[in-house]
Amino acid sequence: MKSLQLLEYGELNECLAFNEIDKPIVRSQDVLIEVKAAAINPIDKSIIAGNLRALLPIPLPATLGYDVSGVVVEKGADAAGFEIGDLVYARVPQEQMGTLAEFVAVAAEAVSKKPANISFEEAAGLPLVGLTALQSLNHVGIKEHDKILIHAGSGGVGSFAIQYAKSKGAYVYTTTSAANVAWVKELGADRVIDYTHEDYKAIVSDVDCVFDTLGKHFTLDAFDVIKAGGKIVSVAGPLDERSAQMFGMSDYRLPVDFVTRCAEKKATYAFIFMHPNGAHLNEITELVEGGSIRPIVDHVYPFSKAIDAFLHLASGRAKGKIIVRM
Amino acid sequence: MQLKTAVEELLSKVKSIVSLSPQAEGYLVGIAKETRISKGSVLIRQGDVVNKIYFVTGGCLRSYCVDQSGREHTLQFAVKDWWMSDYIALHNNERATLTVECLNDATVIEFNAQKLNEVLTLFPEYEPFQRYILERHVVSLHKRILNQMQLTASERYQLFLDQYPDIERHTRNYHIASFLGITQESLSRIRAEKVKR
Repeated sequence: MKSLQLLEYGELNECLAFNEIDKPIVRSQDVLIEVKAAAINPIDKSIIAGNLRALLPIPLPATLGYDVSGVVVEKGADAAGFEIGDLVYARVPQEQMGTLAEFVAVAAEAVSKKPANISFEEAAGLPLVGLTALQSLNHVGIKEHDKILIHAGSGGVGSFAIQYAKSKGAYVYTTTSAANVAWVKELGADRVIDYTHEDYKAIVSDVDCVFDTLGKHFTLDAFDVIKAGGKIVSVAGPLDERSAQMFGMSDYRLPVDFVTRCAEKKATYAFIFMHPNGAHLNEITELVEGGSIRPIVDHVYPFSKAIDAFLHLASGRAKGKIIVRM
Repeated sequence: MQLKTAVEELLSKVKSIVSLSPQAEGYLVGIAKETRISKGSVLIRQGDVVNKIYFVTGGCLRSYCVDQSGREHTLQFAVKDWWMSDYIALHNNERATLTVECLNDATVIEFNAQKLNEVLTLFPEYEPFQRYILERHVVSLHKRILNQMQLTASERYQLFLDQYPDIERHTRNYHIASFLGITQESLSRIRAEKVKR
């Protein structure tokens, strides 16, 4: 089958190749998905550059891609909940990475029926960003009337998080650049802060939670805007001790300045590693079919132009997901 | 007073239009199978061989197709006293173009399509009833096409509610939006305006 593979770590336009490889093996717990569309994500770029080789060692050459939408064409004996012909989507487990190919085998528990009212291309862009946002906001227990600051509202995770938080009835502050203010407002954010002209710290205060997708100083700065007893959840800041344990780092301790700020504000800080989860995707399916969340696609590339898709992602100019159509 | 079974009720409807011989009645009763269908069940799946026709006696069925891009499009809802199948597949002897699903727990009378067709050969007096069902269906489709051409989305939504009074309890927004040929956002706007009035 056709696939897009990473041959060695390096530059985007030098280390990717279209290769003909064997169809994946379908374990008893897997479904085999005929890929109709796959999304590319910033993590793919990081993998290609070799930035994650210590954290996520992968044998090379490796087929790229975590997000998929397609049709179930085969299922293992223990793969429950799906029939041949079902239209599905998933963020595949790490060891099954490889959605930029004609077929991908995925553990059934990571798969969900795709929302019926959107296309394969729109569905493919949802799993990674949706699971990241949902798992993060559920970790802080987002609920009606909560006030939340969601950074980078125009990003894939941020734009989903805004819609998810609004579906829960929260009041949403978000930050974005001037060029994106109008469409981010259409997502439902209550107060859109143009960070090129406004200082969000002068506008946001005493919020119940901050969802940080930016990292760097933004993570620690979150303590300045949360209320006493507030919650910070991050996918870009330092690990917390719970997530470090997952990687066998039993001696890891949260940085001292975080410990100090948590104590000062009686606040909590958590780092979330998004994990594949079909049940969570089922919730996302319900929200999309119900109209609470809509996918945002910037551009669809045919598979033959998949490398161009990565270059587009690297440009940082995408407003929405970049999708590859098989 | 003894309640009629669903099959007896259907026979009453048939006999209100045509005179059936006892043999024809007996044959129809013999090929009619009363069945309960659970919410979410799929009766016909796109791509399957089709050999069943359903007469709905309670609940709601929906037929839809999925286009190449993966989006669903609702063709029809069937509630009490409506017939449902994939007539494109039956007429052309092809695999199903449509999927028929149960939107809420339903009761149907299931007929084998070929056996129901044989009724026309064996008992020609049945033919006017078959013609009546098909004409009623054609009238419904023609009205829907004309409404699509002439009425606003809001007017078509109101007609939809008039035709299917309880259906919103069992349907998703996108089912209705796609049936009306509008976006979910438009449907939400129409509903909001209705509430204001």
